[in-house]
Amino acid sequence: MPERIAFIALAVLCFALAFSGFRRIYGLVASGSKADRSDRLIRRFVTALIDIGLQKPIFKTRPIVGVFHAFIFFGFSFYLLVNVADVLEAYVPNFREIAAGPAFSAFNLFSDLFSVFVLTGMVFFLVRRFGAKPKELEFDANVKLHPSVAAGGVRRDSLIVGIFILIHVGSRWLGTAFHLASSGHVDPFMPTASLLSIPLRSFESVHEIAIHVCWWLAMGLILCFLPYFPRSKHLHLMVAPLNLALNKQTPRGRLEKVSDAGSPGAGSLSDLPWPSLLDGYACIMCNRCQGVCPAHTSGAPLSPAALEINKRYLYTEKGKAVVEGSATVSLLDEAITTDAVWSCTTCYACVRICPVGNEPMADLIEMRRAMVFDGNAPDELSEVLRGLDEKGNSFVESARKRARWAKALDFKIPDARKEKVEYLWFVGDFASYDPQCREVSQKVARILQQAGVSFGILYEGERSAGNDVRRVGEEGLFEALAEHNIAVLEECDFQKVFTTDPHTFNTLKNEYPSLGFEREVLHYSHLLLDLIKTGKIRLESMLSGRATYHDPCYLGRYNGEFDTPRALIAACGLELHEMPRHRENSFCCGAGGGRIWMPDHDDVTERPSENRIREALGVGGVKHFVVACPKDLTMYRDAVKTSGNEEKIQVSDIADLVAEAMPLQI
Amino acid sequence: MTQDILVVAEHLKGSFEDTTFELLAVARKVAAQTGGRIVVALIGGEPSMCSELGAAGKVVNVTGEAVVNFNPESHGAALDAVFEAVKPRMTMVGYTSMGMDLASTLAVKKEIPHAAFCVEVDVSGTINAVSQLYGGKMNVTSDLGEGPCIVSMLPGTASPDDGRVSGNPPVEQIEVPETDGKVRFSRLIEAESGDVDITAKEVLVAVGRGIGGKDDIEVAEELAEALDAAVAGSRPLIDAGWLPKSRQVGKSGLKVAPKVYIALGISGAPEHLEGMKSSGTIIAINTDKNAPIFAVAHYGLNEDLFDVCEELTEAINER
Amino acid sequence: MKIAVLLKRVPDLVEDLVVDASGKALDADEVKLTLNEFDDHALEEALLLKESVGASVAAIALEGEDVDKMLFTALAKGADQAIKVTGVAPVERNLQLARVFAKVVEEGGYDLLLTGVQATDDRDGQVGAMVAALLERPFVSVVTSVLPEGEGVKILKEYAGGVMAEFEVSLPSVLGIQAARQAPRYAPVSKVRQVQQDSTLETVDCGAAEGMPGMSVVVMTPPERGEGAQMLDSVEEVIEVLASKGVI
Repeated sequence: MPERIAFIALAVLCFALAFSGFRRIYGLVASGSKADRSDRLIRRFVTALIDIGLQKPIFKTRPIVGVFHAFIFFGFSFYLLVNVADVLEAYVPNFREIAAGPAFSAFNLFSDLFSVFVLTGMVFFLVRRFGAKPKELEFDANVKLHPSVAAGGVRRDSLIVGIFILIHVGSRWLGTAFHLASSGHVDPFMPTASLLSIPLRSFESVHEIAIHVCWWLAMGLILCFLPYFPRSKHLHLMVAPLNLALNKQTPRGRLEKVSDAGSPGAGSLSDLPWPSLLDGYACIMCNRCQGVCPAHTSGAPLSPAALEINKRYLYTEKGKAVVEGSATVSLLDEAITTDAVWSCTTCYACVRICPVGNEPMADLIEMRRAMVFDGNAPDELSEVLRGLDEKGNSFVESARKRARWAKALDFKIPDARKEKVEYLWFVGDFASYDPQCREVSQKVARILQQAGVSFGILYEGERSAGNDVRRVGEEGLFEALAEHNIAVLEECDFQKVFTTDPHTFNTLKNEYPSLGFEREVLHYSHLLLDLIKTGKIRLESMLSGRATYHDPCYLGRYNGEFDTPRALIAACGLELHEMPRHRENSFCCGAGGGRIWMPDHDDVTERPSENRIREALGVGGVKHFVVACPKDLTMYRDAVKTSGNEEKIQVSDIADLVAEAMPLQI
Repeated sequence: MTQDILVVAEHLKGSFEDTTFELLAVARKVAAQTGGRIVVALIGGEPSMCSELGAAGKVVNVTGEAVVNFNPESHGAALDAVFEAVKPRMTMVGYTSMGMDLASTLAVKKEIPHAAFCVEVDVSGTINAVSQLYGGKMNVTSDLGEGPCIVSMLPGTASPDDGRVSGNPPVEQIEVPETDGKVRFSRLIEAESGDVDITAKEVLVAVGRGIGGKDDIEVAEELAEALDAAVAGSRPLIDAGWLPKSRQVGKSGLKVAPKVYIALGISGAPEHLEGMKSSGTIIAINTDKNAPIFAVAHYGLNEDLFDVCEELTEAINER
Repeated sequence: MKIAVLLKRVPDLVEDLVVDASGKALDADEVKLTLNEFDDHALEEALLLKESVGASVAAIALEGEDVDKMLFTALAKGADQAIKVTGVAPVERNLQLARVFAKVVEEGGYDLLLTGVQATDDRDGQVGAMVAALLERPFVSVVTSVLPEGEGVKILKEYAGGVMAEFEVSLPSVLGIQAARQAPRYAPVSKVRQVQQDSTLETVDCGAAEGMPGMSVVVMTPPERGEGAQMLDSVEEVIEVLASKGVI
């Protein structure tokens, strides 16, 4: 009896403590700026729960770890029932007699097996973190860490959670074994506990006490753990489903609009939209995002994981003050450094890989918006932005010279501003001004001309589409560029738009509609494949050899287009061999997010593009490195040169392949 | 107004700047056309310096505490006094830091025309001055009438040797007029000594805005290393902090005359040309075939500097 | 301290420059104007002074294409006032411009006038020097640093070869800025747009400039190349040249 009262007292205390912790969480998340995630709530939650039930998010990478996590996940989920049953057993007399029958036998079997699963899983994770100490769980020296994290906070948290689970599940398992031992027989529906019970039979005198102790350890510990949840990454149990259900469901390539034009972006914690704040609570500190980040891989001081983890620790340290309004937490320098913010290439890999639906990249863009507004952008970037504003291109070149590449052709490309065309080609900065990319543009023009396609360009009327301008945080300039482009486009008569640049493709398709431009937008790979399929292009001079294809971030991961370029490569006769990181796992060349306009950080040891070329060479026998993006073309050709691999591998655009396979006659 | 040509001499730390002799060289030609004398305004400076001014017909030496060091206010007042004393048809000033403090001011005060950025002067008819404008992309000839007038000559347009004649011109001394003392000279700050003295190098690899970014200077450094040369830069790169001031070539940087000057991505604005025009052999590499540097360079390559640099470095290393 | 910055727009050298039919001026259709970069530095130096001693900064420019945007940009960068001068016939010479500026500035009671040391179209001299002479104020150019000192300012003037001179200048005065202490800041378009909505430019109407000493243009031509550079075709030829000079 006194036990029961004591337990209820403990329960009340722990629930109360936990409640205040959870209330603080709610308060902090609610202090974030507005965001609307309330559409189709039921569908969101159902989808999230199904995905979680199938453990899909965690299996995107690290499959072995995923298996052990699944053990724990299923085991622990089931354990909720087990805990409820245990409490009932303690409070309802004759519960054991009531709880009989095949349903309960099955229940017991699962309890038994899942106990072992959970224990196995937990042992695996503890051994992994504290024994094997894999590099992926560590942070680079140049990454900003909250002092508590630097002092080993994540490790300590893991240890506490690990020990809690081991004791909670272990003592329950042991308790069951003692039960069986005291009854003297085994239960086929509790095989492992039964096995454990056999050697325990001889300790008759301690059976009763042992059972009680085990019960208290199991149940008491979970009560005591309740108030610890809000301070632990273990909270992801509750927050991850919420975070996954309430994630951003607008197209990946569409950024949220600036909420307050007078003070755009986020400087302090509370400036972030509430889903960003929730991210910090959902983070399981697994460092998957860090592992796929091209900036991090190259040695730059950016770690998306550190950002989320630092946020979490700042919540614990200053959350109360923030909610009360007595403190503001500045993101710059408390959660992340300036250099790190500018290191992001906006490749989306961190968002895509996160098992709990976090978006570290979104935070970086919000921060950039505030930093640019306050004049805290790298000088080189400011120069380029200035040039984009004045001349409409990122090359600080005359706007009049934009279509010079077309003048070198033997035929005149129709001016879409004056003539009706079927396809309007939005060329883009790099394809217009960069010497190497211009050659590809010329090839594309000749291919289309030979195929008899009706197409035109905007000549000097075209300005940079602004995708990367938006991603460096200059929303105003993006709007100015888009407004100009849309005004020019509106005067034209065309059916579809196509572009050779995935960045341009992304913004035209996903972001221009909200500014009033809603027309069909294609990447040129689609157009080329179409022309081949309908026979307008005949490939008569097949190529041969091995090729590998690099999925551009803004075509593949952002917009789900993986197959068309591959079909083109195969159509040209090449044998496609995939790099380990392909399709959604593709590894960014490092040019996006304005990075191509900024110098490399001093800490960079190997550029992402060089890393990628190494990966391609590792595939074995690959002669052609095929790209479908002008920035990729320049980045990878440069990487091949600087790494001295010009004899071994050749970077080609899909247009180069098609031109050679046709072959091009004009 | 007389037919005299007034040349404003420039000097620093006790010796004449080359500009002075360049102006004298041009003045000789112009004086021959007008039939007047060359009068040098030596504001401040030592009387002993007059022996270098043999090309002049007369020297007006303004002395006084206020002009021991260059001071726009007192030098301006001094020049005004000399102008009134000489009443020249043409006043010639160097388009330099000191010259810019004096020329336009005098022009406005005396209400006479002033041609800047000049590369050529001709007085066969009315006074015609050719100004090199728009970063060296256009030459504009102005008609300054009969005179009086002022011309500011770009350094490097004439050979200083043509104006360097030793002699004993008559010297008139006048005291510097009183001024309000609104501009007060404090001190001279010497140039920071850098790790490398680019003026002593036989070969220089110079980079301009075409280099793109600080990181990219590396390709120039590799080429420089292969040639046992030093890397120099034009002003914008020093302003941006990509190279130290000791590497700056140009109007407000250093004047160099190496055996070989390789100009990478440098457009050739007058301010830069001033600093390297006299180099033995100038090889310019620029993607803009209209860049003014090609007018001054001995050899040119209309290619991307990155491609060229790498190929060059490799080829040199292989020899 | 009240500071005024004089801004002028000049042809953008990134474009191809073409002489018009008269042979005396640039083809107006082909020309694209941009802010004189030295004036941009002058504005930056003024803003730095504002930040350190709380001076007020007024940006002044003549009306023209894109001038509104330029002035709003100055406001977005932190200038307190932006003044657009209207009613002036097309300005052909700096002296005209200087007279207009002098008139506008005289009323304003500015302690310090900053403007760029020069511009690429300074056929008839530098605006800063002319304004100073018209207002009879002291003038120093090729200035790279302006700091408050007592009642006036302490400046650094650059000579050739990296040598610098330090001067103290009493106010009111005029300075020609070569370079600000840091690169001109960037004004984000979003901020400029916001400023455009929230503020208006002051306009000052100015009468036409009086006659001035004649200095007509005779002709404008691209410089003669002479032989110009001997154009080479390949890196190999460069190597030959270098070898012939004995450097490799």
